[in-house]
Amino acid sequence: MSDRLKIFLLLAPVLTILIVMFLGGLAIGLLRSFNYMPIIGLTKPNIDAYVSIFTSKEFYVSFGLSLYIAVTSTVISSILAIGSALLLRRNFIGRSITQFLFQLNLTVPHLVGAIGILYLFSQSGSFARLAAEWEMISKPSEFPAMVFDPYAIGIILQYVWKEVPFIGVIVLANMQSLGENFEGVARSLGASRWQAFRFVLLPLIFPGVLSASVISFAFTFGAFEIPAILGANYPAALPVLAYRKYTDVDLAARPEAMAMAVMIALLSSVMIFFYVRYSRRRIRN
Amino acid sequence: MIGIESLATRSFRVITALVLVTWLVLPMIPLAIWSFARGWYFPNLLPTQWSLAAWEYALSDTAGILDSLLLSIGISFAAMMLAILIGVPAGRALGLYKFRGKEYIELLILAPTIVPGIAVVLGVHSVFIWLGLTNTVPGVILVHLIPTLPYMTLVMAGIFSNYDPSFEEQARSLGASGIKTFWYVTLPAILPGIIVGGMFAFLVSWSQYILTLVIGGGRVITLPLLLFNFATSGRNDITGAIAMIYILPGILILLFTARHLTGRSGIGGIGQI
Amino acid sequence: MTHVSIKELTKVYPGSLEPSLDRLSLEIESGELTALLGPSGCGKTTTMKMIAGLLSTTSGDVQFDGRSILNDKPEQRGVVMVFQNYLLFPYMSVADNIGFGLKMRKVGKSEIDRRVKEILELVKLPDLGDRRPKELSGGQQQRVALARALIVSPNVLLLDEPLSNLDAHLRLEMRDLIRGIQQDLGITTIFVTHDQEEAVVLADKVALILDCKLKQYDTPEAFYRRPIDEATARFFGGQNFVPGMSKSGYFECALGRLKLPSDALLGSATLTFRPENVKIGANSVGENVVQSKLIDKIYLGTQTRLKFIVGDTKIDVMANPSDVQELVVGDACPITLSADSLWVLAK
Repeated sequence: MSDRLKIFLLLAPVLTILIVMFLGGLAIGLLRSFNYMPIIGLTKPNIDAYVSIFTSKEFYVSFGLSLYIAVTSTVISSILAIGSALLLRRNFIGRSITQFLFQLNLTVPHLVGAIGILYLFSQSGSFARLAAEWEMISKPSEFPAMVFDPYAIGIILQYVWKEVPFIGVIVLANMQSLGENFEGVARSLGASRWQAFRFVLLPLIFPGVLSASVISFAFTFGAFEIPAILGANYPAALPVLAYRKYTDVDLAARPEAMAMAVMIALLSSVMIFFYVRYSRRRIRN
Repeated sequence: MIGIESLATRSFRVITALVLVTWLVLPMIPLAIWSFARGWYFPNLLPTQWSLAAWEYALSDTAGILDSLLLSIGISFAAMMLAILIGVPAGRALGLYKFRGKEYIELLILAPTIVPGIAVVLGVHSVFIWLGLTNTVPGVILVHLIPTLPYMTLVMAGIFSNYDPSFEEQARSLGASGIKTFWYVTLPAILPGIIVGGMFAFLVSWSQYILTLVIGGGRVITLPLLLFNFATSGRNDITGAIAMIYILPGILILLFTARHLTGRSGIGGIGQI
Repeated sequence: MTHVSIKELTKVYPGSLEPSLDRLSLEIESGELTALLGPSGCGKTTTMKMIAGLLSTTSGDVQFDGRSILNDKPEQRGVVMVFQNYLLFPYMSVADNIGFGLKMRKVGKSEIDRRVKEILELVKLPDLGDRRPKELSGGQQQRVALARALIVSPNVLLLDEPLSNLDAHLRLEMRDLIRGIQQDLGITTIFVTHDQEEAVVLADKVALILDCKLKQYDTPEAFYRRPIDEATARFFGGQNFVPGMSKSGYFECALGRLKLPSDALLGSATLTFRPENVKIGANSVGENVVQSKLIDKIYLGTQTRLKFIVGDTKIDVMANPSDVQELVVGDACPITLSADSLWVLAK
């Protein structure tokens, strides 16, 4: 058997599945967003769905909200993740338990984290009760709204909770494989502790941080169940809005849902571009 | 560690670690307490009455939670097995060979780990309607392959890129058949990768929500769907119990694979959950 | 110009019971080039890192010109360490790498440019400032790492295995460059190596570290002529060790009664002599001549290696090939171990 045939046979199953379901799913979504689907008798493509979403305030608000959630939680997570990785590469009492919890957190599904955040931060949640105990508030409605709120604080808290360990573990592995000698060189050349971090360690781990952040960004932009649990009814995050449109009793809303899915896919293609660019650079160095 | 560290630095480190640990476990605490609470009303910091009622309900035959648990285990196990069967050969091709167009294939395999499920699943739903796969368990298993396969394939590609196929040639030249060679030479070498990759493929499938919701169409109720329903209907005690059951496999798998977790591939994949 | 004194320096890594460096004491004269020699894992790099302040010490002291530097931060010590794998910052150009130390000291841009240019000339890489480290050969990277260290005019320069990653021909070139620059600038320099030849050729003084302890600290020549014990002699290529009894002026052993130099140790001891110092044949006086039989002969190109046997004691000899052309295995042959080539080691 020639190598080419062998490679083809080895890859055929995975390619079939991903092309049919993944690319196929994206393609069908795209076609249906143009209301074009000859099999079910839709033979005249149009751009009504796009006109409709681009002229409705609802779409812009949801898109903006999702973008805001993704940017805020990714930036906060990345910074805290770098801090945690700096902490965890040192030896200290309780390091192994911290590291274990870090990894444990990775195995907890987002949905569970979201419900946990809900029970902590809702107006009758643990923190509200603590505030009442300390007589800062007397009834639940006096506690600041941190879930179902327009600023999506609960959603961001949940993402930070999950993404700090995710980015942190990648950054930590990155730091451990670099070792401390680069910083050692910098220090012996006269750099202070801060300068060694700023001019040496940070540029070295930056590609790793960036590629992890890109994954985190795409996830926080496109996840459904977290904003569905913790988000306000209006404005809804874009994935929640898309799902609502898709399950709307009015079937005419389906192309709009597909158009929103296309927008999410487009944004994630940009993320893939960045990911590939930075992970390649990381491998080259 | 560079140079000498002051007591202040070390205490700062322990304090930050304490804050971090607290933050990491914090959201799990009310869930765990709720599962043993009866009538835990504002502003009580702790339940006034403890009870096993939620657990009794969750573990009873009539509530359907055990059915969901079994269904979830079945679906994730099937998705894992399919991912192993398909991902191992693909990983071999990507890890061992260089060929034209390889980067595009890698890109296609990487893409589902970044593109959110909602962007794909609505289109898949349309296709599955014609194929009669919506609202069925096989349909849900198939759609779970979208997030699990890339991960399994990438782990195996990593394993195979450190694998020397001349061991197989050596075995063949010593008289082993193709199947015996696979069984005695290839499999032992790649088994750790299959175990770790398979475990995490299981977890990735285990945590799927939107794919199951859309393709299962409300007929295939896996544990996360049930959890979501209880959470939004305000049954906090039962929600707590289901949440505790739901996170158990992840904890077991972590304990089981803790020593394998040092590799990058494992870490990258676990982040997809 | 800095005088370095290392006093009882010890390192025990956390979680380890055995010290990785055990009470090392050295006095390094200002401007001297000193080699820390020893097999890998014997605490050489640990020593360097402690001097550079990159690793905390367990006990002992390091003083520059009589002042302890242990409480100084690494960047305040005036010590630069050049690592074995160079560790050039991959995301910076060659010029930025070299200028790094000056930038950290907030030296002006034009001043940095000028001095980088100067130092690139010194290490003979004038036109490579804009390149990235990964575009350079190993030898070039080594020079850049050296330039990056020298530009900050360190008081003490530490080189970790400076030649080990280079090809044989580059090694000679780099050796001369390091020696030349060190002599010109007069920087007190310590370098680590596992290669005794490298230590001997390059260093003014050699500190041999075996099993985490200082064995001998001496001029290179002394390691050949007056090794402190059998392990030291073996590390420098010694092969002949004959146990016996040293009495005033004589050594009694399986080879007979041999005359010793006047300052030899007394008592139960080991006699050693280098293979290249054994003379084939008897001398006119007949002193220290041993009757032996040739049992092996291997031609090595520029030398011939011979193995003789006396009773059941084997003796290794290196000879000039033309001197031993006629000898064949099985021949009986006298050999001479002249008194000034003998050295007595304590047991």
